[in-house]
Amino acid sequence: MPKVVIDPITRIEGHLRITCEVEDGVVVDAWNSATMFRGFEIFMKERDPRDAWQFAQRICGVCPTPHAHASVVATEHAMGVENVPDAARITRNLIEATHVGYDHVLWFYHLNALDYVNVSNALNATASTPSLQAVQDQVRAVVESGQLGPFANHWWDHPGYLLPPELDLELTAHYLQALEIQQAANDAQAFLGGKFPMIMNYAAGGVQALPTIEQIEYYIAQMAKVKDFIDTVMLQDLVAIAPFYIGLAETGAGHGNYLSWGLFDDESQEPVNRVLPSGVIYDQDITNVLEADLDEVRMYTAHSWYGDEVGEGKHPLDAGQEPLEFTSLDDMNDSETYPEGKYSWTQSARYGEDSRPMEVGPLADILVAYGRGRQEVVDVVDSTLEAVGAPGQPEVLLSNLGRIAGRVLRAKVNADFAQQWADELLSAIGSGTTEVYEHRDVPESGEGAGGWNAPRGALAHYMRIEGGKIGSYAAVPPTNWNASTRDDMDVRGPIEETLIGLPIEDPERPLEILRSVHTFDP
Amino acid sequence: MAVEESSLLSVSRRDFLKFCGWVAAAMGLHTVSATDVARALENAMTRRPSVVWSSFQACTGCAVSLLQNREPSVANLILKQISLDYHETVMAAAGSAAEELWEEVTSGDFYWVVEGSVSTTIPEAIMIAGKTGVQIVDETYPKAAATISTGSCACYGNIQASNPNPTGAKGIAEYLREDGGVAEPVVINLPRCPGNGDDLVATLAYVLVTGELPELDSIGRPLFLYGQTIHDNCFRRGHFDAGEFVETWGDEGWEKSWCLYKVGCKGPFTYAPCGVTQWNGNVSWCVHNGPCMGCAEPRFWDELTPFYEQTPGVSVPGVGGFTAEQIGIGLGVATAVGLGAHAVGQIATGRFGKGGPPEDAEGGES
Repeated sequence: MPKVVIDPITRIEGHLRITCEVEDGVVVDAWNSATMFRGFEIFMKERDPRDAWQFAQRICGVCPTPHAHASVVATEHAMGVENVPDAARITRNLIEATHVGYDHVLWFYHLNALDYVNVSNALNATASTPSLQAVQDQVRAVVESGQLGPFANHWWDHPGYLLPPELDLELTAHYLQALEIQQAANDAQAFLGGKFPMIMNYAAGGVQALPTIEQIEYYIAQMAKVKDFIDTVMLQDLVAIAPFYIGLAETGAGHGNYLSWGLFDDESQEPVNRVLPSGVIYDQDITNVLEADLDEVRMYTAHSWYGDEVGEGKHPLDAGQEPLEFTSLDDMNDSETYPEGKYSWTQSARYGEDSRPMEVGPLADILVAYGRGRQEVVDVVDSTLEAVGAPGQPEVLLSNLGRIAGRVLRAKVNADFAQQWADELLSAIGSGTTEVYEHRDVPESGEGAGGWNAPRGALAHYMRIEGGKIGSYAAVPPTNWNASTRDDMDVRGPIEETLIGLPIEDPERPLEILRSVHTFDP
Repeated sequence: MAVEESSLLSVSRRDFLKFCGWVAAAMGLHTVSATDVARALENAMTRRPSVVWSSFQACTGCAVSLLQNREPSVANLILKQISLDYHETVMAAAGSAAEELWEEVTSGDFYWVVEGSVSTTIPEAIMIAGKTGVQIVDETYPKAAATISTGSCACYGNIQASNPNPTGAKGIAEYLREDGGVAEPVVINLPRCPGNGDDLVATLAYVLVTGELPELDSIGRPLFLYGQTIHDNCFRRGHFDAGEFVETWGDEGWEKSWCLYKVGCKGPFTYAPCGVTQWNGNVSWCVHNGPCMGCAEPRFWDELTPFYEQTPGVSVPGVGGFTAEQIGIGLGVATAVGLGAHAVGQIATGRFGKGGPPEDAEGGES
């Protein structure tokens, strides 16, 4: 059967290749191949454990801060530190809130929107305001110059673009405006963290510096701009375009298993009490949220270029991390070298007793919080369902549309809580609770794990200390879940599974595949 | 759905000229004015310069860093001043359409910006559209009008080249010279982790205005940007000279902005303009919130770690054998390692010197 290949998948973090078999206009099989390997777990060995979070940030330059967070918690746990001082806990929440504030805006407009918003069709709009006219003039100037830059050679004439020109123009204007909003959030992150990407002020045992009043006030002002944009522009854009693409609610349900490690600690620093709490959902049953345990993760490597024995899932710290000989990107099912067929640099993470593939991401975070009855989340989900004409039907979220909506809702929840972290920190400072760091010597041995939710999903780091150095290290980022290969039992990864059954209008221009993959923000 | 009038594509003329003045001053050319720079950037030519961006073994952080650019704003930069004709993180096209576009844009005149390292011992550790990173470099380098490595990965391999370098990761110039059969590759290295958009815009402006490449130091960095150390431009420098040091996070010294050398700052060993350009629209830079980790220097992950210990045995003559206290009181020692000219606590624009690092200040490329 002829295969449809998309390589490169653009508008993502990193490098991804998608291969599909399409029969009678429908995807019947799919494979995702991560086409980059760097070897973090190998070169992090033998290092000072306190340096780990600086290495870990470089795993992903779109979401370095959550990597830093999960890593520093893993380090602390391995060093025997259970909780950091409360002012450090709140400072971390501030920094993470700025990161969430930037990341979902960037995804919605700059990584995702061009799958739905036809920039060239914006030229056909009647501009209703001077500023929209200015944007339209600029788009026209770009088009007439013949130098289309980032908008060049795309499938703009694909019949899947359905918005009226006025909405295309408005969303194009918001695309440009969002460039400034993501900067507004990151400016606050940089003011608190030194710079972004790659912040400076975490430390194993807390943070390096207590924010000054000036820094906190700047954070409040910047996050107010972000909240205003999310409330008055981004949420409205979601509601405006959803009716035109309501077919997305019919596709992309996938396995229906969801995992969250949690986001934003309260004073207990227990993941289950986080604003977006930890939890596990199986088989789409959002009424039954189970506990999430970092030690229930197993890694499988049958279909990736690593060398564990086939059929045996390994704890992340014990999984094979040395690369095997590369074969081909086309040996999905078998090859002379590897009868099982290897096609990716990504290992497969699976969860629990029966080694389930789990979807991670804002939708998972929101569903777990909703299932656990976190009131702020229940309210925002219910009101959005009502706005899109599906009151009381959270099950419509179990789809490609839900994955898009999940990111917007998570951005909304984050923006709503941003002021609270500032208030908590000001109150702590007011009462003299200003300690931000507890020193602990690096022990000879220890083991720890840290879970956190990056904007693209549940993220865990694991560390084993041996002889006062990093003896073994493992990162299990969202890619190991969502973009996992088939596991050793030949169960597809979530992105692969989500593509099955997807109708493709034109296999030469598989826009639907691009859309579906982008809902995961890979 | 409100669109703010002030935003979008209408950056203020004053801010733009301010930036151009900074670029002109940074170049250190008395004959070049802000207006010259503005004219070059504002497309006096009929066609905007085509910029093609490749990402190899990278974290996408350099791309995100570019999106933080101000003066010119990102929208102005990529739609008005240059034409960002290929950039996988932001471009609409994907798959076969992206492959076609790549062929088209690399057949014309273009400046090539590279983010990320290439893998040499496992070439397939980075593949795009079925080609390995080194294949793409072999094909593209000879065609580009200029090649600019942005960020430490494309310059020196950075983190994935740290010991034991599992994939044989190398910077673009390193690869070309050592494996690619190019005796003297011409690549402008703009390190730091992530790469900094101001570096990139200033370098592009330099090339466009003068029609020449900037003068480079022995490891490929433009001297007009990388001629001074972090230490030279640090607002904590006076405390270093006075022997006043932070001992632990959040202590009294921290509150008083004392020097971070004893908690691991690599500023004295790091040539980079962070103190002048700062980051994120001049909001801040690293040493406000922690010690410099030396991210502009080759092999800093191996040679400048642990990050949070007073600088370990670095092969910088004149410093290795001295304690912070001795350096703090011994200006003669500071001069010996090329830390002479500095103005304590003053961060002003246009302060770049033309002088490079002393020949023996660091090891160069291996």
